[in-house]
Amino acid sequence: MLLFAQIVVNGLLVGGLYGLMALGMGLVWGVLNIVNLMHGALIMLGGYAVYYLYTSAGLDPFAALPLAMLGLFGLGYALQWFVLGQIARSPLLNTLLVTFGLEVVATYLAQLAFSADLRTINPPYAGQHLALGGLVVPLVPAAAFGAALVLAASLWLALGRTRTGRAIRASAQNLGAARLYGVNPRRIFALTFGTGAALAGAAGGLYGLVAQISPYMGNSLTPKSFVIAILGGLDRPLGVLAGGLALGVAEALTGAYLASTYVDAISFGLLVLLLVARTSRLLRPA
Amino acid sequence: MRATVFALGVAILAAGRPAFAAATPITLGAAVQMTGAMANTGRYYRDAYQLAVAQVNALGGVTVGGEKHPLSLKLYDNQSDVNLGVRQYVELLTQDKVNFLLGPFSSDDALDDSSVAEKYRVPMVEGGGASSQIFSRGYSYVFGTLPPADDYFASTIEMLGKLSPPARTVALVSADDAFDVSVAKGTRKLLSAAGLELVVDKQYPEDNAEFASILSLVASKHPDVILWSGHEAQALNFIREMKSLGVSPERMASFTVGVPTADFRQALGPDAEYAFGMTPWLPSAAERDDWFGDGEKFAALYHQKLGYAPDYHAASAVADVETFVKAIEAAGSLDSGKVRDAIAHLDFQSLYGRIHFNPGGQIALAQTVIQIQHGQVVPIYVHDFVHRPLYPVPAWSKRLAHK
Repeated sequence: MLLFAQIVVNGLLVGGLYGLMALGMGLVWGVLNIVNLMHGALIMLGGYAVYYLYTSAGLDPFAALPLAMLGLFGLGYALQWFVLGQIARSPLLNTLLVTFGLEVVATYLAQLAFSADLRTINPPYAGQHLALGGLVVPLVPAAAFGAALVLAASLWLALGRTRTGRAIRASAQNLGAARLYGVNPRRIFALTFGTGAALAGAAGGLYGLVAQISPYMGNSLTPKSFVIAILGGLDRPLGVLAGGLALGVAEALTGAYLASTYVDAISFGLLVLLLVARTSRLLRPA
Repeated sequence: MRATVFALGVAILAAGRPAFAAATPITLGAAVQMTGAMANTGRYYRDAYQLAVAQVNALGGVTVGGEKHPLSLKLYDNQSDVNLGVRQYVELLTQDKVNFLLGPFSSDDALDDSSVAEKYRVPMVEGGGASSQIFSRGYSYVFGTLPPADDYFASTIEMLGKLSPPARTVALVSADDAFDVSVAKGTRKLLSAAGLELVVDKQYPEDNAEFASILSLVASKHPDVILWSGHEAQALNFIREMKSLGVSPERMASFTVGVPTADFRQALGPDAEYAFGMTPWLPSAAERDDWFGDGEKFAALYHQKLGYAPDYHAASAVADVETFVKAIEAAGSLDSGKVRDAIAHLDFQSLYGRIHFNPGGQIALAQTVIQIQHGQVVPIYVHDFVHRPLYPVPAWSKRLAHK
C-alpha cells in the first residue's frame, strides 16, 4: 500500500512537470492554430539558459527561471512577429512545415553551440528529500511541481481576468469580432507565442533539474506535450495541468506494475481513447 | 526530412604525399552518429576513425603487393537514426564503392547495418555493437571488437563473490534495446550460477526513461546490489533519481556504461563518486601498438588533437581501422573474400588489446571493474583485485554528512 502511494506521488510529481511542458503548446495551438513542432526545442533552449545562468553566472536555478522565461518570451515574441506571423491562421500543413524547420535549425545550432554533451543542473540541494510518514518526496521535483502549479494558475488567472488575457481568448474564439472591439491581432498573437515560449523555457529549466539537458531532448518532449495538450484541452490551463498529472500517474503505475516498456503505448492509448470519447460527444446532437 | 547529410570525405594525405603519387586510395566507409541523441558517444567513432586513418597514412599507408596505398575514409552522419544508417551503408557500397566497412555505434545500429555488409559480401569490422544478436546469425562478413554484451557483468559478479560483507540479493534494471537485452540475458545466467538471488528484474524503454517507479519498487526490496544496464544519458537520470528518492543499495551499484567517460563525471559531479562500472580498455603503456606506440601514447595524442579524453569506444574504433590494415597486408589483395579470410585469421597486439576473432566474429576481452574514487576512474578488479574498492558504498544520506 505504501509502495502504491509512493508510486502515485512519483507520478504526480513528474505529471506536474509534464503539465507545464504542455501548457505553452496548448495555448499556442488553441489561440494561433499552430501545432508548434518546435515546442520541444524551446524547452531545450530554456534548459540551456538556466544551465548557463546557474553554472556561469552563479544564479540559483529557481532564481534563474524568471530570467530564462523572459529571454524565451522575447525569442517567442520575435519569432511570431517576424516569421510565424507570415503564416498565421494558414492551413495546418504550412505551420507544421515551418515549425518543424525551425526545430531542426534550433536543434543543430544548439549542438554546434553547446555540443552533444549531456548537462545537468545540479545545485547542492538537488537530491535531498522530505520523508512524510514513510513516503519519500524528493525536494527538487516537489519544487518543480510547485512552480508548475503556480505558473498554470497564473496563466489561468491571466487569461480569465486581465484585459490582454480576454483579448487572447477572444482572438481564439472569433477573430473578426475581436478585431471589431479593437484587438490588434498581430500583437496579441506575438504575446501568445511569447507566453508559450516562456512557459516552455520554465519547463526546460525545471527539466534540467530532474533529468539531463541535451540538444536533442526536445525530440521526445514535443510529442509528449502534444498528447497532454489534447488530453487537457488546448487553451484550458488547468485542464492541461490535469492532463499532465493523469499521464504522469498512468506512466508511473504502468512502469511499476506492468513494465516501463509499455509506457508510450499507455500514453498514446489514452490519447486514442480520449479522442474517440470526445468525438462521439461532439457529434451527439445538443 | 532531416536532410543535413554532410558527407565528410576525409582524404588525409598530408605527410606521405609523394609516396602515394600513383597509388589509388583504399577507402573505408561508415555511417556514425555525429548528430542526434547518440552523438555524445558517436563522436568517439568519427574522431577515432579519422585519427587512425591519418596516423596510418603518416606512417606510410597500407602495403599491397609491394605498393603503398593511402587509406581514405568516407563518413556519413546517420543522425542517430537506424533506418537512415542502413540506407547510407547501402549507398557506401553501391554509389561510393568503398572497399570495406567500419561500423556505427550501438548494437541496434550494428545489428541492422551489418546485414548490409553480409548481403553485399563486404567485410565490416565494427567496434560499437556488443550484443550477441549481431553474431548469432551465422554471418561471415561481420566482425566486432567489443566484448560480448552477455558477459559485461561477468567480472563484477566474480568480484562480488570475493567481497565482504557478501552480497546476496540483486536488482537488475535494463533497457529494451539489442545491447541491453543481451546484457540482461547474460547477467541472469551469471547471477544464478553465482548463487545470487534476483529480487527485482525490470526493463525500461530506452527513449522514455523515467525511473521513479522502478526505483520505488527497488527500494521496497532492499537489494544488496543494483546492476543497471543502458546508455549513458539514462545512467545519469537513474543516478540522479536514486539520489533524489534516497534509494541506495545495501552494498553497491554498477552501470554498464557511462562510468569510464569524462562526460559522466562532469555531469554528475560529486554524485558520480562510488559508482562501479566496467571498461574493456584503459590507457596502458603495456598495450603495444604498431601505429601509436602504446595505449598511453595514443590517449595523450587523442586528447591533444581532439580536446577530450578517449574511452574504450575510441580505442575499439582505432582497432577496427588497424584490423583492416593488418588484414589487407596479410591478404596482399583488396578482394573482399580474401580480406575477410585474413581478418578471421588475424592475431595481433594493438593499443586496445589482443585482436583475435572467435568463430562467431567477436573478440574476447575481460571487462575491468572500475569505480569512481575522488573524481578519478580507478581500476578495481580483473581476474583479481587491482585496487581496493570503496565497499560497501555509503547511502546517500551518509554522503551528505561527509561534506
